Amino acid sequence: MTAAIAETVQPKRAAPPGRRILVAEDSPITHELLKLLLTQRGHEVDITTDGREALQALQSKQYDVALLDFHLPEMSGLDVALALRKDPHGRKLPRLVVITADVEGLLAHGEECESFDNIIPKPLDIYRVGELIEEQARIADEEETGIAQEPAPVQPSPPPSIGGTPPPARPASFVDDLDYEYLSWPDDLRHEHLSARGLQATLGEARFAAIVIREPISERQLTTLWRHKALFALPVIDLTGTLGPKADLDASRLGAGDAERVDDLVSGFQVRRARLNRDLLFSSSTQEQLLGRVFVSDKPLTAAYDAASKSLVSYNTSLDGETVDAKAQILATQGLLKQEFFDRFHVCPRCDSARLHVREECPKCRSPDLTEEAYLHHFKCAYQGPESEFRSGDELICPKCRGELSHFGFDYDRPGSMMVCGRCGHASSDPSVGFVCLDCNTHTPGDKCATRDVYSYRITEQGVGFAEYGRSFLATAGDILQFTDLPLELVVALNAEAKRFNESQVPFTLVSIVYENERELVAENGVIQFDQARNLFLDNVRAALPNGSMVVKGKSYDFALLRGVGPDVANAKLATVGRDAQRTVRLDLGARLVGFGPEDIS
Amino acid sequence: MFELVDQGITYLSSQSLASLFHLFWFVILFEVPRYTLSFLAVIATGAAWKRMSHRKPHIGRVSVVVAGHNEQDSIERCVLSLHDQSQPPDEIIAVSDGSTDGMAQKLYELQERGLIQEAHVLQMRGGKSAGVNLSAGRATGDIVVNVDCDCTYDRHALREICRPFVDPQVGGVAGNILVRNERTSLIATFQAIEYMISISQGKQAANLTDQMTCVSGAFGAFRRAALMQVGGLDSGGGEDLDVTLKLRTRHWRTVFAENAICYTDVPDTLSALTRQRFRWERDAIRLRYRKHRAFLNPFSTRFSVSELLHELDFFTFNVVAAAAFPVYLVWLFVTYGDMAPVILVGAQTGMLVLDTFTFLLAASVAPKAHAARLAPFIVGYSLLYGFYMRFVRLAAYVQEWVFRASYEDTYVPRKVHLERK
Repeated sequence: MTAAIAETVQPKRAAPPGRRILVAEDSPITHELLKLLLTQRGHEVDITTDGREALQALQSKQYDVALLDFHLPEMSGLDVALALRKDPHGRKLPRLVVITADVEGLLAHGEECESFDNIIPKPLDIYRVGELIEEQARIADEEETGIAQEPAPVQPSPPPSIGGTPPPARPASFVDDLDYEYLSWPDDLRHEHLSARGLQATLGEARFAAIVIREPISERQLTTLWRHKALFALPVIDLTGTLGPKADLDASRLGAGDAERVDDLVSGFQVRRARLNRDLLFSSSTQEQLLGRVFVSDKPLTAAYDAASKSLVSYNTSLDGETVDAKAQILATQGLLKQEFFDRFHVCPRCDSARLHVREECPKCRSPDLTEEAYLHHFKCAYQGPESEFRSGDELICPKCRGELSHFGFDYDRPGSMMVCGRCGHASSDPSVGFVCLDCNTHTPGDKCATRDVYSYRITEQGVGFAEYGRSFLATAGDILQFTDLPLELVVALNAEAKRFNESQVPFTLVSIVYENERELVAENGVIQFDQARNLFLDNVRAALPNGSMVVKGKSYDFALLRGVGPDVANAKLATVGRDAQRTVRLDLGARLVGFGPEDIS
Repeated sequence: MFELVDQGITYLSSQSLASLFHLFWFVILFEVPRYTLSFLAVIATGAAWKRMSHRKPHIGRVSVVVAGHNEQDSIERCVLSLHDQSQPPDEIIAVSDGSTDGMAQKLYELQERGLIQEAHVLQMRGGKSAGVNLSAGRATGDIVVNVDCDCTYDRHALREICRPFVDPQVGGVAGNILVRNERTSLIATFQAIEYMISISQGKQAANLTDQMTCVSGAFGAFRRAALMQVGGLDSGGGEDLDVTLKLRTRHWRTVFAENAICYTDVPDTLSALTRQRFRWERDAIRLRYRKHRAFLNPFSTRFSVSELLHELDFFTFNVVAAAAFPVYLVWLFVTYGDMAPVILVGAQTGMLVLDTFTFLLAASVAPKAHAARLAPFIVGYSLLYGFYMRFVRLAAYVQEWVFRASYEDTYVPRKVHLERK
């Protein structure tokens, strides 16, 4: 059922290995949904409906990940987690993920919350659940094999609390006096361990205004921001004054009088973040995140010299220069960014570093110990050689005839000069150029050194479209379905229909309704007008379809579910349905209705 | 016409030996002895030829130095041909002597490609001597071979020019120079015959009696220690004769390597040839009778019998012969009046016979010189060198003796001439 479209943007990944997952959830709709979703992704799923049952299951069988509802009958998810951590019955602890609609209620339990490795807020983002579980399982694997994905944070510090304890006291900055809620480095954003607030921010919570860097941070640590979803879309305010253009605002030298600059930054990001499509906001592809970042920051990706970077270039974003360059080039080939030439660098053929020491060197032994010496030509005896052979204090004495050179141009001249190598004595008029890599010490002759072109990048119209409308914007064919787009109730209904089809061969048709003129209409008439037109259109469709059909409004697309009708029959009529539904709608939505049968949906 | 020839033959055939000498004293005094020497020489060297070995001589490292002015087009071919030698040089040092074409760039390219070891680019022209001195001073080899950009070399040329250095007394070796453009004009063809006789054969002969006195600039090799000992080349033209005489002064042997074959382009018009010979002859006079006159002074420490021989040879067969020829002509006409042309034809016929004889000798010792192709041109050669060149030589001697004209040659930059005086 998932569409292939994401693969045009992301490189295809190998299918994740199947995991053993326990779901403890009392709502049958939710656990059915989770089971459907996770088994589809190749995992083995057990369901329990109360806390006690869940604890027993966890103590008697090995799981990779346990999804625990916070509010469970008999025992709360938190109690299950605490009990299991106390007595895992000799088993390896699974990763414990809590599901809850009541994040605040959970956080009220303070340090106990640390029993969980992650939280998933309700309503469930079904697309994310699968990924998050696989991510947790992967972390468990890595912990087991002892290979940390990233080196431990540089500064030793207690594990960040999930309980939302206030950050330790630091020299106050005027930004804290402003009425914004920030995420702070290092308190909220340490590597894999985000604080609860950090986790909430990764879920796209709008209350966070910016990320504030309170202590010096390495480029590597800064890059970890991009490992989490949605964080890249927050402006970075630097209180340390060490980030330079990588931060969106250097507040280290600003005072209360500059509050307006913070306001402008935060509000600008807020407005555009709201327009950023969820596909990008919650994307785990750095490439898509980068495009989202360019869109949200409303600034081109500008390359600048940076001696600290191996590529000698950094961009005005918290991601490292090499990654930006690599990802942005792909985006440019897709027409989402436009390149503007910045500079051409020579790069080490061995380690790709651009930190090269350029030098003139001996063509023979490659030593840079060259001294320039003039040739002197003594006309009288035709002796011609380096000046040092003639030098005798202030006098120039010919080494051949011992005559004194007394008058330039008359009895001698200087027809040229040579570079004499102090190591091997070789001399030549033209020294060679060579490079020494400062990172790996490799020596490369000038003509063998490869070059790399570096560009700045500007977002294109196409890029803006992708940022605002997500992956569906890139789809030229509207008949591609996005699993993410399916509303929950539709997924549940579909599941029921699929079951019916498997048991008694009763056909059904899922209709996707794509509005091809959406962009133009929104641009001309605004979102509200478009939405009204879309609602009216849907009402018309609902009225035209037989009883028992279901019409559901989705995010990018709308859907209809026709029970008892196969796609062949449905598709023959859908064009008419669409035309009729359009008739009373003033705006031409360009709606396209395409039906999919059980065979199309696996 | 036939009558005249008939008359001449009758007249000459009726003469006694004594009166024949009386008629042809010039030929008998100045030509016959030379050819006799050659004949003896060839008999000896003919045996030497057969002893040529294909083993590489062990003489140490070989540096090739090449200095050129505006040789953009020929330098690359020259360097590539050096690398194609049966015994390639251990290093090549090239000098662009104030070139205004793309020679400097070409040298940088060759250096980048590793084909030459050092490239020196001079912004101001300093002349051949200075260029060779610069590169010979930089050379690290035991043997320094001086080559010309516009010459090409037989595959074994380098090996063969180095071979005589196995004798530690040898300080300089002259290569064997043949004419490459022998077919471009009659003048060039005549010079091909001349080179064959005077270099390929003549220097072989001179070798026998240790009289080889010119390590030609186009292809010559020096023991670097010897070259350094004499201070390299001196300024002024004729530096090849000059440096050879200097080496001999220091008791180094200078020899000829007949198997070290090099091809060069010679002047292909009479005027160019005349200019070239004027230059050569002037330089010879200046060097022998001014710079190295000590060879002729029995009280000088540099005086030796061996040097006296080639000095006498030059004096007799070049200077006196050139001066005597007009005297002979005048004497002939005054004494014999109308019979003089007949006698002259007879003399020329005699010379032609001698020339042919020499040509055949030379051909026998210079198998690479295309003797068969050159043979039909002997008559013309004999006339050109028997008459015209004698006057050129004489004129050049007078010019140099009286006007010191060699100090004005454009072969050497003017600034050098000014200072050299």
